Amino acid sequence: MNPAGHLKLIGQLRDLQIVDRDGCKCGIVDDVELEGEPGKPLAVTAILVGPGAYAGRLPRWLLWAAQRVAGARVVRVRWSEVTGIGSTVQLRSPARELGLMKSEDAARRFVPRGGAI
Amino acid sequence: MKLLELTLGIMTAVGGFVDLSELVFAAQAGSRFGYALIWVFAFSTIGIMVFGEMSGRVAAIAKQPVFNLMRHRLGLTLGLITLVASLISNLITCAAEIGGAALILQLLTGAPYIVVAIASTIVLAGSIWILPFKWIERTYGLLGLFMIVFAVALVAGDPPWPRLAHGLVPQVPAGLSGKELLAYGYFAVAIVSAVMFPYETYFYSSGGIEEKWGPKDLAINRLTTIVGFALGSLLAIAILANGANLFGPLHVDPQMPGTVALQVALPLGRTGLLLALLGMLFAISGAGVETCLSNAYSLAQFFGWEWGRYKKPWQAPRFTLAWLAVFALALAIVMTGIEPIELVNYAVLFSILVLPFTYLPLLLLAGDRTYMGDHANGRLSRVFGWTYYVVIVVAAVAALPLFLLTSGGQA
Repeated sequence: MNPAGHLKLIGQLRDLQIVDRDGCKCGIVDDVELEGEPGKPLAVTAILVGPGAYAGRLPRWLLWAAQRVAGARVVRVRWSEVTGIGSTVQLRSPARELGLMKSEDAARRFVPRGGAI
Repeated sequence: MKLLELTLGIMTAVGGFVDLSELVFAAQAGSRFGYALIWVFAFSTIGIMVFGEMSGRVAAIAKQPVFNLMRHRLGLTLGLITLVASLISNLITCAAEIGGAALILQLLTGAPYIVVAIASTIVLAGSIWILPFKWIERTYGLLGLFMIVFAVALVAGDPPWPRLAHGLVPQVPAGLSGKELLAYGYFAVAIVSAVMFPYETYFYSSGGIEEKWGPKDLAINRLTTIVGFALGSLLAIAILANGANLFGPLHVDPQMPGTVALQVALPLGRTGLLLALLGMLFAISGAGVETCLSNAYSLAQFFGWEWGRYKKPWQAPRFTLAWLAVFALALAIVMTGIEPIELVNYAVLFSILVLPFTYLPLLLLAGDRTYMGDHANGRLSRVFGWTYYVVIVVAAVAALPLFLLTSGGQA
């Protein structure tokens, strides 16, 4: 792939909804991890999920405020987990196995079951 | 079956069109400026038709809600700023609606304001918890149709129809003092804001995803937004015209929902008054539910959580906690004792300030062939969309000075 192709891929990936194998919504691509050396090809190695990945993407004041409210967690999902990119990013495994459901599961403890049609 | 769905969809849009701010501003506008602001209602209704249709189309084709695509399109920084601004605007609106519903319940039951505010918040939250999405939308929308008594009252009062129709022509009434002119300007901006509240498109497009719309639903989307919003707007215009006929000559400034309902009591008696109060109660409560859910939708979509009332509350726990928190915060605002009419003023002011940020991504997304393919904005949507966008920006720039110069339209 040429360099413009790489940049386009990163632009397409960032801020997309992530969906796991079972169709469960499990976060947004907050940043993309690249690996490479000068003179050698760059490769995407992982997608990063969580407010910890906002660093470098927000002005300092906004980053400070965002991380005060949302914390600085970040989950790294290996690139090999990604099976498709469209209007969402699709993953090969269930989100829970990749550590993407921790906050959702933590919230679940406060929500009683029952009473809904 | 399709026809039934369509009819129900349109009726829901009609009953759900009017909220507390439209109600209050329509009645006041009629009382203070006669029929001279009818054209602003008609003009802004076309605006919400344009943006409503676009948001439904984005939901049906891109299958992603507006806030998801907005962040992807505009980037994290601008997206986050827009998120926070619309959260605040929707929260104030939600508090105003809860306060408005409580005022009506207070009239109906005689119970203290704070008690009925708490009770109505619990009932609203309970309805979201218990009912699936379509039932929530339909229940409040269809029961809001009791407000048709305002149109009946208008016809029964036999207004001067030619003068009323002349109100559809854009105008600035002659003979107003400088202060009155500023108040007229403030009312015009407030009506644009109240008709085009940002939550309406968020709720509508998220609803499209909840109901799993696809390309086959585009015709229904178009008809619902055009016919439903047009008929809904007629109700608001009837309230304005009743205000002009009944309150204007008596110099009554209808700031409370109960006063607005008197429009119906004069020609139609006690039964009319009761129906008007019930219609207002359901329409305002429906708006409270929509503003609250809009905030939960926006948060969940921005951060990629599970969301939607097609799931059970515990299947989308962060989304559930978000709407519960919005209700709790809105109730806390109401319990500080701020008058709902004051909240309405803040709601329209804040909403018009954030409208340019919230409608720009929608306009860009609906016109983007990468997402929308052949269903991207055509020439008509493009021209209308950008024209209304310019109007929104002008209204947003004028809003704060007009608000300050007229003390929220009171001067």
